[in-house]
Amino acid sequence: MSHGLNLQGVDFSYDNSRILSGIELSIPAGQFVTLLGASGSGKSTLLRLIAGLQFPERGRLAWNGQPIAGPGLERGVVFQDYALFPWMSVVDNIAIAIGKARPATAKAARIAEAKDYLNKVGLDSTIGKYPFELSGGMRQRAAIARALALGSPLLLMDEPFGALDPVNRAKLQDLVLEIWEAGSGNNAPKKTVVFVTHDVDEALYLGDRVVILGSTPGRVIADLAVEFSRHRDRRTLFTSDAFHELRESISETLAADTLQQLVAA
Amino acid sequence: MSETLVIETHEVSVTPTPHTASEPSGASNPGRLQGLLEASLVWIALLGAWFAAAEYLPLGANPLIPSPAVTARALWESLPELWVGTLSSFSILVPGYLLATVLGIASGLSIGSSPRLQRAFLPFARVAAPVPPTVFIPYAIALLPSFKLSAIFVVFIGAFWPIFQNAAAGAHALEQRYRDNASILGLSGFEFQRRVVFPAALPHIFSGMAVGLGFSFILLTVAELFGANAGLGRFVQYYADFADYPKMVAGILYTGLITFLAMTGLEAIKRRALFWQR
Repeated sequence: MSHGLNLQGVDFSYDNSRILSGIELSIPAGQFVTLLGASGSGKSTLLRLIAGLQFPERGRLAWNGQPIAGPGLERGVVFQDYALFPWMSVVDNIAIAIGKARPATAKAARIAEAKDYLNKVGLDSTIGKYPFELSGGMRQRAAIARALALGSPLLLMDEPFGALDPVNRAKLQDLVLEIWEAGSGNNAPKKTVVFVTHDVDEALYLGDRVVILGSTPGRVIADLAVEFSRHRDRRTLFTSDAFHELRESISETLAADTLQQLVAA
Repeated sequence: MSETLVIETHEVSVTPTPHTASEPSGASNPGRLQGLLEASLVWIALLGAWFAAAEYLPLGANPLIPSPAVTARALWESLPELWVGTLSSFSILVPGYLLATVLGIASGLSIGSSPRLQRAFLPFARVAAPVPPTVFIPYAIALLPSFKLSAIFVVFIGAFWPIFQNAAAGAHALEQRYRDNASILGLSGFEFQRRVVFPAALPHIFSGMAVGLGFSFILLTVAELFGANAGLGRFVQYYADFADYPKMVAGILYTGLITFLAMTGLEAIKRRALFWQR
C-alpha cells in the first residue's frame, strides 16, 4: 500500500525482554486509529518506532511507501508530558516548528503564524507567556498547536490527555477530532492519526478503528472497526446499546489479557 | 434515559504565580521576622565576642586581636589602597574566570553530549581536575612572561574544571523528552546545542560557575602572596610583614565583603537566567 502507514513483522526487545512481537498493521491514510492496551503492552514503544525515535529489532515500518529511518516532520508527535521547551515562550515553541517545517518563512512571519495556530486551539490568551505560566490543559493544547504547525499528515499521540481532568480531556478530544477532519485545510485529505490510550471510552469516541495490544510481549490481539457515525455526541453515544456492547467486548479482551499476566507472573 | 444530563463547562484559566511562595506573606508573619532575628544573633554574638576579647584579654601594646574601633579606623584609612587592590585583583580574576566560563561551557556541553567524546576525554578529566591548582603557581610564574599572566592562568585552571564538569553533567543529563522533541523538530548540531542543550544545562552550569568563582578567589589571593605588588591577597600579606593587625583584619573583612558581593551578583544573574524554572 503506497498511502498510509504500514508495519510488517515488527519486533522490539529491551534488556532481553520482548516488548513487541510480530506487529502487523496497515493503516490507510486519513484513518483515525486508537491504540488500546494495558500498561506495559508496548503501545508507547510502538508509537516511538513509528515516530522514528527508536528502531525495531526486526521488521519494517513505512509511511507512504517510504521506510521509516528516523524522525521526520511528516510524522508529528504529541507526548503525554510536555512537548514544549520551558525556556522558550509558547509562541517561540510554535515558531521554531514553523521554521523547521517551512524554512523559507521570515522570522516575523513565523511569529505571526505561531500566534495564528495558538488562536486556532483557543490559546490566544497565552501569547507572550511561558510554559510554566500555563495549566496542564493549556500546555497540551499548545503541544497540539505545535504538531499542527508542523503540518504533519501523520499525527502520533501518546496518551496526550492522560494527565488532564475530565472536562479538559473532553474539550481536547473534540479539538483533535476537529483537526483530524480539517486535514491540512482547503479540501486537503484528512490527517492520519494514531492515538494511544488506555481509556476505552476515549478510544471509542475518537477512533474509526481500535487496535488492541496485549501485554508481554506486545502483540495485536484485536482489531475492531468503530462504526458509529461521525460528529459523535457523547451523551447519545455513551448511552447507546451498540456502544455498550463494543465497550464490553473490548473490556473483556483487556481483562483477559491482564488476567493472563497475573497468572503468568 | 429519561433525564438529560446537563454539563456546564467553562474554561478555567489557571495562571499560577511564577515564583512559588516559600514564605507566607503579610504583615503578621512572626516566622519571617523571627528568622531574621535569629540570623542576626550570630552576628551580634560574634561582634560581642570581638568587643569583649579586645577589651578584656591581656594582649599588650600591639594586640593580636585589635579592637573593633581600631580596626574600623584602619579600614577607613586603607580604603584607597584597598580599592586599588580590588581593581588589581579583578584584573586577574575577570579574564581568568571569563575564559574558564566560555571554554568550560563550550567543551563541557560538546563532550557531555557525545558518548564517544565522553569515553575519550573523561578519564583524563578525572585525573587532571582534582590536582590543586595551587601547585601550579610557582611553575606558572617561572614559565609565563609576567606575574599577571601566571595568576590568570592559575585562576583559569581553578575555575575551568568545575564549570567543565558541571556543563558536561548537564549535557549528559538532558532529559529524554527534550531529546525526543528536538529529534522530531529536526534540531541537530550547533542549533541543537544552542537552543536545547545549553538552556537545559544552565542549572548545572550555574552550580559549576558558583564553585568556580569561589575557587577563583582562593587561587587569586594565594597567587598574589607569591608575586603581586598590589591586590587583596597581597594587602593582607604585606601588613602581616609589619605585624599591623588592624590593617590585616580590615583587609580580611574587606575581602570577605567583595567575595560576598561577587557571589551575590552571580546568584542574581542565575535567578534572572533561570526565570523559567518553577
